[in-house]
Amino acid sequence: MKPIPRRKFIQGTALAGGALLLLPPGLAACSSGGVLTSGDYFLREFGIDETLCRKLLAKALSRGGDFADLYFEYTVSNYLGLEDGKVNRSYGDISLGVGIRTVKGDQIGYGYTQELTEESMMSAAATASTLCDMTATPVGSSFTKLKPGNYYPVAADFDGIPAKSKLSLLQQVNEKCFALSPEIVKVSAGFQSNIKRILIASSDGVIAEDIIPGGYIYSSVVAERNGKREQSSWDFGGRRDLSFYTDEVINDVAAKSVNNAMKLFDAIQPPAGEMPVVLGPGVTGVLLHEAIGHGMEADFNRKKISTYSTMLGKKVAEPFVNIIDDGTNMHLNGSLNVDDEGNPGKKTILVENGILTSYIHDKISAKYYGVEPTGNGRRQDFQNYPIPRMRNTYMLGGDASAEDVIREAGNGIFVENVSNGQVKIGEGDFAFYVSQGRMIENGKLTAPIKDVNIMGNGPKMLANITMAANDLQMHLGGGGQCGKNGQGVPVSFGLPTCLVKSLTVGGTEQKGGRS
Amino acid sequence: MRYIKDKQMSFPDLADWVISQTLKAGADDCKVSLSKRRTVEINYRDRKPEVIKEATTQGLYLEVFANNRYAGQSTPDFRRSTLETFVTDLIASAGIMEEDPFRTLPDPKYYEGRSTVDLQLADPDYDRLTPEERHEMTKSVEEACLNQGGDKVISVEAGEYDESYEEFIRSSNGFEGSFQSTYCNVGASMTAQDEGDRRPAGYNYIGCRYRGDLPPLEEIGSEAARRTLDLMVGKKIATTKIPIILLNRGAGRVLNGLMSPMSAGSIQQKRSFLADKKGKPIGSKLLTIIDDPFIPRGLGSRYYDGDGFPARKRDLIAEGTVNEFLVNWYYSRKLEWEPTSGSISNLLIPPGTRSLEEIIRDLNRCILITDYIGGNSNSTTGDFSVGVIGKLYEKGNFVQNVAEMNIADNHMSFWNKLVEVANDPYIYSQARFPSLVIDDVVVAGI
Repeated sequence: MKPIPRRKFIQGTALAGGALLLLPPGLAACSSGGVLTSGDYFLREFGIDETLCRKLLAKALSRGGDFADLYFEYTVSNYLGLEDGKVNRSYGDISLGVGIRTVKGDQIGYGYTQELTEESMMSAAATASTLCDMTATPVGSSFTKLKPGNYYPVAADFDGIPAKSKLSLLQQVNEKCFALSPEIVKVSAGFQSNIKRILIASSDGVIAEDIIPGGYIYSSVVAERNGKREQSSWDFGGRRDLSFYTDEVINDVAAKSVNNAMKLFDAIQPPAGEMPVVLGPGVTGVLLHEAIGHGMEADFNRKKISTYSTMLGKKVAEPFVNIIDDGTNMHLNGSLNVDDEGNPGKKTILVENGILTSYIHDKISAKYYGVEPTGNGRRQDFQNYPIPRMRNTYMLGGDASAEDVIREAGNGIFVENVSNGQVKIGEGDFAFYVSQGRMIENGKLTAPIKDVNIMGNGPKMLANITMAANDLQMHLGGGGQCGKNGQGVPVSFGLPTCLVKSLTVGGTEQKGGRS
Repeated sequence: MRYIKDKQMSFPDLADWVISQTLKAGADDCKVSLSKRRTVEINYRDRKPEVIKEATTQGLYLEVFANNRYAGQSTPDFRRSTLETFVTDLIASAGIMEEDPFRTLPDPKYYEGRSTVDLQLADPDYDRLTPEERHEMTKSVEEACLNQGGDKVISVEAGEYDESYEEFIRSSNGFEGSFQSTYCNVGASMTAQDEGDRRPAGYNYIGCRYRGDLPPLEEIGSEAARRTLDLMVGKKIATTKIPIILLNRGAGRVLNGLMSPMSAGSIQQKRSFLADKKGKPIGSKLLTIIDDPFIPRGLGSRYYDGDGFPARKRDLIAEGTVNEFLVNWYYSRKLEWEPTSGSISNLLIPPGTRSLEEIIRDLNRCILITDYIGGNSNSTTGDFSVGVIGKLYEKGNFVQNVAEMNIADNHMSFWNKLVEVANDPYIYSQARFPSLVIDDVVVAGI
């Protein structure tokens, strides 16, 4: 994929389009003007009306509490897999239920059920209410329907697209991978898609519905040269429909996985120890997510367990550093029309000109800090209560070119691709796994490197970003999941090429020689 | 349209009904798995409940085999009216798949020989656990952690989680399996005030099948605080080649890198650096890994695996040599190998004779690895790299806590440097590993 110019990606990823998967017959959707709308889906299919919602909320608050909310979910997921040249496996899952939450201060009572019978839902509400032991809190007599954003429109005909369309995409990926190199010995590919419908009703009088598409196509290859094997994979996706998966995307996913595998044959392990690290644009934004973003989630700060809990309003980075968490990017994996607490999708500036300006809030932390919710209350599914989570997190670009940044590094490593990362919130220490990169020697990119972990400290790293290029790229993968408290939610991230003055590189040899 | 529940059917009756519907709708074969889980979760912070959560969930997973084509799908909706559509849709999904002659239910002869030993997976006292007792357990753990943490405590969270689970599986070609199990997990996490802005967080959560097998609650809470205080003033040291000890409870983080390449799927897909290593040495003589499904109350104990094959104790690696791969039914057919079992149960490494303390005393300089951060392992090449946290010792004396460091190696060289196994297998895990001493590892820091 071509890099997206700084500040233009927000509009640049918008696509009109079709759909991701078949819905079971009998669960047809409403449409308006060619675009699928949520339109009272849970009322139509399961008889969930406002009277019932008020009754459930009243039960959840029957022993007191600040507020209560209901989160109804119906999700259909599907995965098609190709192996040994054949699309020969299909896996699916249906998730249906309601989660009912009672909140008092920062305390949570939570019950959920998969049976949308009144009896079962009242029982879940009663479970949530056990948190409190006071007199009942009244529930408002009417709801105001939230008008959510429209950051991932889904075409009205999406349930008419046959799954065979996806089969041919996978076959194309397979053929293109083998065509790109005679050294490719195995190709596997997959197409994951899901459509989630949610209804949120809260005792403070908000009701909101949304339809959330998601999915990705991936390719994973094994290459063999002189008895040595290497593997590599890539994916593209997001909150998108089938029209995204054009020939260009299919070509790119195949080319990325094959070309990356080829480079690995010549890769070395870098020397171990502290050195300058240049983060390439795009997928390396996972480092921003891990090392910095998590520490800015307000629950960690409210509990005083994040290193950022005393830094609000203070300088945390050089003045050219601006970090944003954004739910409003068209079709990106972390975009939200409405969050899982009924707040509209928003864009939140976390660091502005080097100053920490905001945390990432859910309703509980927003009330604690006396600010408006930022629309970051997210949950994996109805079986989990919402907590502050990132959406699409990125740093704006600087003024330098990528070549300038690499030259400035002198001797160190350049990170091209990463597979995973982790942070320890309290210490701020993080690690991320570099699946592919290059050595930087005398300001120039040299030998490829692979399979090395990089360690650092989030706040120190943020302060040590000394240069950024003007080439911000968002990661357009659809498989990115962030895990926190046992809950996975889709996210995206982005970064321009930037220089971190020093990080620990976990090679196999002490500095002074390559392995 | 209101959601109206059907009259409850027993799991065997529902399984029969689903199988009959599926075969009637055109499948050649099918397998249905039914499960039900009840969970309770309580968390405390600042001596008051932070979260109270409770629910019962159910699931049906159906796999269909039709004209050498395959599809599987799960649903929580057991209403017969929706299941009828679910079954026909699933067969339609299988119908558009490409033919795969290897995808069948196992030959029923492989279902035979299941053990009838009582694995004691379900605590008979589970239903006697009251909400009040759950709160008391959590409060005891929190209090012990707060006491041990003293004035270093910024925050303590304590939690109790328990569940009861039952499953029933039946296939159209004669497999039937079922069991009930329980699980109880209690623990705490603590955040401490360290130098500057550092706020190290440690934890200790212990899980058992039987609540009565838990260590004393005060001990669980105190240990959470001790593990946190062990992180204080953690700093990286100069990059060095040094003996390391993988502490028992976390050793699986590195050893897991050997499991994926032992699977037949990885081997058939040419993603295993162990593919040609059966019968060959890959580690020192001290490396023996046993898969034992028969440990009473074991967290990984089982009667049958995902294919329905009877559980069997086996040496996966014996004295450093690969003895048996993880071969499930599907990949056994692709590879034309005999199936073994494609998944693991409880993993054990036979313990040594000396304690961790004795071993540390005899090492001139070493790092005890107590926790990990990030990292990954490449199953195709065997290369791995992972962040480590631990304690530096010299001549048996504690020198300092270390953090922000990393170990990287290739499994083929790493396990050849296994020089001693301690006598301390960690029993509160599916991976019951003792502490492992690895010589000459590059630990990257400054």
